[in-house]
Amino acid sequence: MKFFTLFIFLSLQAPLMVIGDRRLIESTCKATPSYNLCLSTLLSNPKSSSGDVSDLGLIMVGATKVKATLAIQRIKTLYRSHPELRRSLNECAQVYMAVVKADVPSAVQALDGGQPKFAEDGMADTAVEAESCERSFSGRGLKSPLTQMNTDIKNVANVARAIIRMLL
Amino acid sequence: MHMNLLDMNTFFFRSTFPLILLTLFHNIMTSSSDLENPLAASYAPLPDGELPAGNNPTIRRPRKAALFLVVSAFLVLALVALIAGNGPVLRKELNTEVAPPSTTSTPEKVTPLSRGVEKGVSEKSFRPLLGADNSYPWSSNMLDWQRTAFHFQPKKNWMNDPNGPVFYKGWYHLFYQYHPDAPVWGKIVWGHAVSKDLINWRHLPIAMETDQWYDEQGVWTGSATILPDGQLVVLYTGSTNESVQVQNLAYPADPSDPLLIKWVKYPGNPVLVPPPGIDTKDFRDPTTAWKTPEGKWRITIGSKINKTGISLVYDTEDFKTFELLDGLLHAVPGTGMWECVDFYPVSKQNENGLDTSVDGPGVKHVVKASMDDDRNDYYAIGTYDAHKGKWTPDNPTLDVGIGLRYDYGIYYASKTFYDQSKQRRVLWSWIKETDTEASDINKGWASLMGVPRTIVLDKKTQSNIIQWPVEEINRLRTNMTVFKNIVVEAGSIVPLSIPAASQLDIVAEFEIDEKTVNRLNGDDVGYDCVKNGGAAERGALGPFGFSVLATEGLKEHTPVYFYVAKGVDGNLQTFFCADQARSSTANDVDKSIYGSIVPVLKGEKLSMRILVDHSIVESFAQEGRTCITSRVYPTKTINNNARLFLFNNATATKVTASINVWQMNSAHI
Repeated sequence: MKFFTLFIFLSLQAPLMVIGDRRLIESTCKATPSYNLCLSTLLSNPKSSSGDVSDLGLIMVGATKVKATLAIQRIKTLYRSHPELRRSLNECAQVYMAVVKADVPSAVQALDGGQPKFAEDGMADTAVEAESCERSFSGRGLKSPLTQMNTDIKNVANVARAIIRMLL
Repeated sequence: MHMNLLDMNTFFFRSTFPLILLTLFHNIMTSSSDLENPLAASYAPLPDGELPAGNNPTIRRPRKAALFLVVSAFLVLALVALIAGNGPVLRKELNTEVAPPSTTSTPEKVTPLSRGVEKGVSEKSFRPLLGADNSYPWSSNMLDWQRTAFHFQPKKNWMNDPNGPVFYKGWYHLFYQYHPDAPVWGKIVWGHAVSKDLINWRHLPIAMETDQWYDEQGVWTGSATILPDGQLVVLYTGSTNESVQVQNLAYPADPSDPLLIKWVKYPGNPVLVPPPGIDTKDFRDPTTAWKTPEGKWRITIGSKINKTGISLVYDTEDFKTFELLDGLLHAVPGTGMWECVDFYPVSKQNENGLDTSVDGPGVKHVVKASMDDDRNDYYAIGTYDAHKGKWTPDNPTLDVGIGLRYDYGIYYASKTFYDQSKQRRVLWSWIKETDTEASDINKGWASLMGVPRTIVLDKKTQSNIIQWPVEEINRLRTNMTVFKNIVVEAGSIVPLSIPAASQLDIVAEFEIDEKTVNRLNGDDVGYDCVKNGGAAERGALGPFGFSVLATEGLKEHTPVYFYVAKGVDGNLQTFFCADQARSSTANDVDKSIYGSIVPVLKGEKLSMRILVDHSIVESFAQEGRTCITSRVYPTKTINNNARLFLFNNATATKVTASINVWQMNSAHI
C-alpha cells in the first residue's frame, strides 16, 4: 500500500510543476494586451509548465500557427463553396501562407537563436496580415466569412509579440 | 536547461545504485528545507498527492513525514532498479502517468521540447496555394517598381546588417547578413560584394556559411581590422549549435586575392565566449579593433545587464586570446541590449576621417549603439580615456540611447569603416522593409543598404556629426533641372516640371520671409514632427518643403519638410520631418511620421537634400545634421505617374526656394 502511495506521489511530480510555474505564466500574461487569451492558450499546453519566457513565447507563436493553418483550411473550403469571394479568399490565402511559411518559422528561429527582435517582427507582421485578410472583403463591400478567425489570429499574434518583447 | 521530472525519473532508472542514493539524499535535503519556505515549496515536488491546483502554502507535512516518504521512495526505487534493470517498461508506465495526452492546440513542431524541426524558411515554401488566380492586391507592376536603382541589395532574398566593410587592395568590400533561402530572416550567412566606387557592385559567392558548431545557428555580425602589415582579420559573432553567442576569428584564405573570395575560420574558434554575468544570448557584434597605448588591440562588444545597455572591452595581441577589461567602455541604464556597437574618432579641426586607432587632443570619440528595444541607431560624442578603456559623453543628457540618432526614420545596425584610399570614415546601414511579409514574398527580396555616408564632426556646433552621401553618388546625376528663387506663397503648392520622378537627387535652399518672422509673436507651444499631425498641420512658419513620389492631385504623396517655430524668447527652432501618412493608398504599409529638430546657426539658410530611389527616400537637412530615411510603397505614384511638388503649408510666411533636381542613373548592382 505504501508502495502504491509512493507511485502516486512520483507520478504527480510533473503536475505539481505546473502549479509552480503558473506564477511565471500569470505574471507574463499580465504584461500582454489580453490576459485571458494568454493564460488559456498557455495553460492548454502542458509544456508551459516547465518553460521560461522564451518557451512561453514559442508556445504562443505555435498557437498563431495553428490558428493561421485552420484559417487556410477554412479558406480552401470557402473557395469551393463561395466562388463570388474568390478574389478576397485568394488574398487571404496569400497572407496566411506568409504567416505560416515565413513569419512563424522565422520567429521560432529567432526565439531559439536569441534574436527576439526578428520574432517580434514576425508576430507584428502576422497581425497586419490578419487585418489585410479582413480588408480584402470589406474593401470590396463583401461580408467577411473570416472575421472571427482574423480577429483571433491578430489577438494571439499581439499577445505573442508582447511576450517576445520581454526578451529584448 | 530544464531537466523536468520525467527526465529525472528516467534518469533514476538508468543510473547506477550509488547515484540514486546520492540524488535521493539531495532530494531529502531540498524537500525539507523547501518546507520552511512556502514560496520555494511551490516550485518543488512536495510529497503530497492532494495539493490543489494552486500555490497553497498552508498544506505542509512535518519534516519527519517528508523524510519517511522520501526514504520509502528510495527503497521502492532501489527495488525497481534491481528488478527492472534499465527499466524501459516501467519508464513507459510512468510516462503515461506524468504526461497525459496533450490537449493543446499547439503542434509538436513548434513547441519548446522539439525545437528546430519547424524553424527556418525555405524558398520552396512559397508556392501559390489556390492555383493560378493570383489576385494579390499589389500588382507585379507596383512591386517591380519598388526595386531600387542605386541602393545596394542582393539579387534576391533577405539581407540585414552590413558586416566587415573595408577597402582592400583597390576594392571596397561589403559583407552582409544574408538569408539565401527566403525574403525573411532565418539562418544567416555572410553575403559578399565588391565595388571600385561604393556605387556599382559585383556580387560574389557567400563568404562564410554556417558550417561549424560555433556558428551553426548563424554567422552573425562582425567587423574587419587591417593589421599594420596589410593583413586582414575579421571577428564575427557565431550562434553555436546550442544558440550561445560566441566571437570567432576568420581571415582570407589568400591574402593576395583582392576579391577575398575564400575565407578561413580559425581552427581554435571560438576566441571569446560570454563572460560570467553576461547572458549567453546577450553577447554579439564585435567592433573593428583599434590600438591601445600599450600597443595591443582593443575591441568592444555590446551587451546588457538587466536593462542597462553596456559595452564590454577586450584587449588582445593576436586576436586569438583576449583579456576582458575590468571596467566598461560605457553603460546607460534603461537602454536595453546594445547591438552593433561602433566606436571611432572624429577630428575636431579637419574634414578628413580618421583611422580607428587615432587618438589625441585633436579628436573626439563617437560611440554608436543599435538599440534592440526600439530598433534605432543612437550616437553620442565624448572623450575616450585610452588608459582606462573608458568613454564619457560630452553631454550626459544626450547619452547613447537617449539622445541623438543617426537617422530619424528607418536606419539600423549601421557600421562605419575608415577608407584609407580617400581618408574618410564611411557609414553603412541596413534599411528594412515596412510593408508586409506577404508583399516581400511576392517581391522576392527584403531590405536595402542606405547610400553610404561620410561622417565628420560638425565643426560649427561641435555637438553633432554631419552625415552626407559619399561623393561618388554624384556620378549618377544626369539631366539637371534648375528652379531659381521660386516664391511659394503661404498655403500653396507648385508642381515642378521634371522628366521623371522615381530616381532623383534634389538639393534645395529655402528662405522664409524675414519681415513675417519679425512681426510674429512667439509662443511656447512645442513642436514635434511625430506628434504634431504631419504635413497637413499648419503653423505660421511651416511646414514647407517637397512632396516626393506624388500623384497629380496628391492622392498619394510623401512630404519632406521644414517646420520653423518661434519661441517666446524670439528664437527660432527648426524641425525636419518626413510624413508617410499619405504615401500610399494601401493599408498594409507603415505610414509613420518621422523627424527631429535640426540645428540652424545664425546666418545659415535652410537647406535640404533628398535622394529618391523608388521605395526609399533619404533626406538630409542642413548639410547632414539631421537625416531621415523613409520606405514608401505607393500604388499609383509609380513609373510615369510619379511627380514632384514644392509646397508651403505655412499660414503666415511665404517661402523662397532655389532648387537643383537631377535625374539619377541606375547603378550596376
